[in-house]
Amino acid sequence: MPVMSGRAELENLIARTVLRDRAAFGALYAATSAKLFGICLRVLKDRAEAEDALQDVYVKIWNRAGRYQVTGHSPMTWLITVARNCAIDVLRRRPRDAGGDARDLTLRDPAPGPEAQAVAVSEAGRIVACLGELEEDRSAAVRGAYLEGETYADLARRFDVPINTMRTWLRRSLKQLKECLDT
Amino acid sequence: MSDRPDIPPEGVEAGEYVLGLMPDADKAAFEARLADDADLRAEVLEWERYFAAFAEAEVAEIAPPARVETAIKARLFEAGGASIWHRVGVWRALALAATIAIAALFFWPASQAPGPAYEARIASEDGALVLTAVLEGDMLRIARLAGGVAEGRSQELWLIAGEAAPISLGLVPDADAAALAVPEDLRALFAGGVLAVTDEPPGGSPAGIATGAVLALGSISET
Repeated sequence: MPVMSGRAELENLIARTVLRDRAAFGALYAATSAKLFGICLRVLKDRAEAEDALQDVYVKIWNRAGRYQVTGHSPMTWLITVARNCAIDVLRRRPRDAGGDARDLTLRDPAPGPEAQAVAVSEAGRIVACLGELEEDRSAAVRGAYLEGETYADLARRFDVPINTMRTWLRRSLKQLKECLDT
Repeated sequence: MSDRPDIPPEGVEAGEYVLGLMPDADKAAFEARLADDADLRAEVLEWERYFAAFAEAEVAEIAPPARVETAIKARLFEAGGASIWHRVGVWRALALAATIAIAALFFWPASQAPGPAYEARIASEDGALVLTAVLEGDMLRIARLAGGVAEGRSQELWLIAGEAAPISLGLVPDADAAALAVPEDLRALFAGGVLAVTDEPPGGSPAGIATGAVLALGSISET
C-alpha cells in the first residue's frame, strides 16, 4: 500500500506547495497519487485517459494550492474533489458515446474494500451507511453520477426510465441522504 | 411538490450541482447565486465533503506509472527549464571583457547583513545530478542529492541574473554538503535568478567564464 499520510502532514505539504516548494509537491504526489489515480481510473475506465487526467489534477493542485484553505476542506476532501472534477471534465470532453462500450465492461458497484469497512464511525462510514439505506437502484444512481460522471440522460438509459423520473428519483435520494447525514 | 421534476426539494440543488447533474443553463444560474449566498456555498462544500469521503472509502488506491510524475514535472517546471537552458547559449556569446568585469563582483568584500532567504533545486535534464542550494545570510548551503564530480574535473557553480553573463560562486566539492560564502552584491542578484553547475578543468574555469558543459540548472525562489 502506498504511503499513508496524516492530515497534518498533508496540510503541511499543501502549504509548502503554495510557497512553490517542489520537494513538498513531490512528497504530496507520492502520498496521494495512488488514491487520485484510482479516482481518475474509476471515472474514465481508460488508463491512458486516466494518466492524462492525473497530470491535469496535479498541475491544478500546483497552481491552485493557495485556494485550498478557502474551502475549509480536509486535504483529502480537497484533493479528491479536484481529481474527480478533472476526470469528469475529461469524460465530458469525450466524443459522445465513444467510451460507451468500455464503460459497460466494468463493474459498476464493486463490494466495498477493506478501507470502506474500516471507516464505520467516520464521515466516510456515515455516507456509505446512508447510501446503503437508499434502495439499491437509487444508491447506484447517486454513485454513478459521482464516480462515473453519469448525467440524468445516462442514468435514465441505464435504468430504463424517463429522464424526468430519473431526476425525481435522484432528487429524492439526495433529500433522503441529506436527512440521514444530518441526523 | 418534490415529485415535480422541475422543482428540486430544498437542499438538494447543491447536491445536484456537486454531482454535475445540472444542465449548463441551470449551472450558470446556480453559480451566479453561489457568488453571494454563503449558505448555498456551505451546502456545496458539505456535499463535496460527503461525496469525497465516500470516494475515499470506496475507491481503491492504484499506483500510477512513473511516467505520469515525469510528465507533470515537465509541464510545470520545464517551461522555465527549457528557457534557461536556451539562455546558456546566449551567455556563451557575451564578450569576455564584460564577463570578467561582472565576475569581479565576486571579489567584493562580503557583509553580514541578513536578507531574504533563497533556494534552488539545481538538476540535470536527466535527473542524474541534483543539488539543492539554500542562501541563508551570506552562506549558500549546498546539498548534493544525486551525482558526483567526474574524476579529474571540477564542478563550478554560477549565478545567472537577468541577461548578464554568469557569475562564478565557486567550486562545488564532491561531497554531500558544502557551503560557499556569497558577497552582499551577489546576494542582491539572487531574486529571480538561476543557478547553474558547469563541468570545468580542475580548480575551475581559468577564464572567469564558464567554459565547460552546463550540467545542471535551477531557478532560484524565495523561501
